[in-house]
Amino acid sequence: MAAHPTRRAVLAVAALLPLTVTSGCGGVDVLAAPPRPAPDVALLRSAITAEELMVARYTNVLSDVRNPADGTPAGRGGSRAALAAALEPVLAEHQAHLAQLRSRLAVPAGAAPSPSQRPPAQPTVPTALGAAVTFLRAAEQTAAAAMLDRLPHAPASLAQLFASISASEATHVPVLDDVLLATGQAAR
Amino acid sequence: MSGRAGPGPRSALATTAALQSALAAEHAAVYGYGVVGANLSGSKQATAMTDWVAHQVARDTLEAMLRSRGAQPVAAAVAYQLPVTVRTPGQAASLAVILEDRVSTAYLGLVALSSPPIRKFGALQVRAAALRAAFWRGSTVAFPGLPASALTAPRQPEPGP
Repeated sequence: MAAHPTRRAVLAVAALLPLTVTSGCGGVDVLAAPPRPAPDVALLRSAITAEELMVARYTNVLSDVRNPADGTPAGRGGSRAALAAALEPVLAEHQAHLAQLRSRLAVPAGAAPSPSQRPPAQPTVPTALGAAVTFLRAAEQTAAAAMLDRLPHAPASLAQLFASISASEATHVPVLDDVLLATGQAAR
Repeated sequence: MSGRAGPGPRSALATTAALQSALAAEHAAVYGYGVVGANLSGSKQATAMTDWVAHQVARDTLEAMLRSRGAQPVAAAVAYQLPVTVRTPGQAASLAVILEDRVSTAYLGLVALSSPPIRKFGALQVRAAALRAAFWRGSTVAFPGLPASALTAPRQPEPGP
């Protein structure tokens, strides 16, 4: 039992030795500067930030739907419940996008911290529900288009993920159209 | 695909193979939508006709892309084994969903190629198929065209209701 870790430790030290020698007398320089994130990491981070924003927007609108402030129109209780029921699955899909994007982010140890580790700035969302849904609809279109713009520079598997997420966001637009129709607030 | 060609020819081979896969999926969709439409009526049948035409247009586009690359487009099969029995409108919608999902997956193969215009074309076709699939499914999904095996998140995305 004990012999194996010892031998492994010796091998590990042996592997480090050439580095120590070539880095001169200092010895402290064995560790190079922290690695910079690869270009596709920057691309991934921008996609993560965009999805965080979408999650925040849906969360805020759903919060308004569930806790109506006084004076908001479209205040029929039934339509609020229907609106929440329509928006919740869409929020869940954005959360799935975000989880999947984050799972692709393998940041080398010591690299600059991801900006996505900070909570995103609170997006401002219109409070009137019809306006809020119209706002979400435009946000989906913008997000879907931005995801496509990331395709040319992405590695193949990431490009496929971006394309799939973009398509998913595009399918949210007719969902929101149905919501607007059902609440009699068609976007015109 | 021998994989022994140089970088240029290998990339060209990969492009041709991906275009042929997308074309094969479109052939199957064109056939399948004939069955879908035959089991529907009214506005649903009209939508199935619109989607059927969209797949024929996409098929023609892919054939032209392949010919312009000097490749012989794969031919449609005389008949296709349908993945589900279709006798009711509900089964017709289920078949349409399956056809669209397969088309989406095939077009994601184009998105994996290195050419930016072909990536964009593939992505726009994934979007079109995802929109049609969402109509027939009656709900949306988080990752159109991506099989579960391609997803790495520890938590599975929640399917739509």
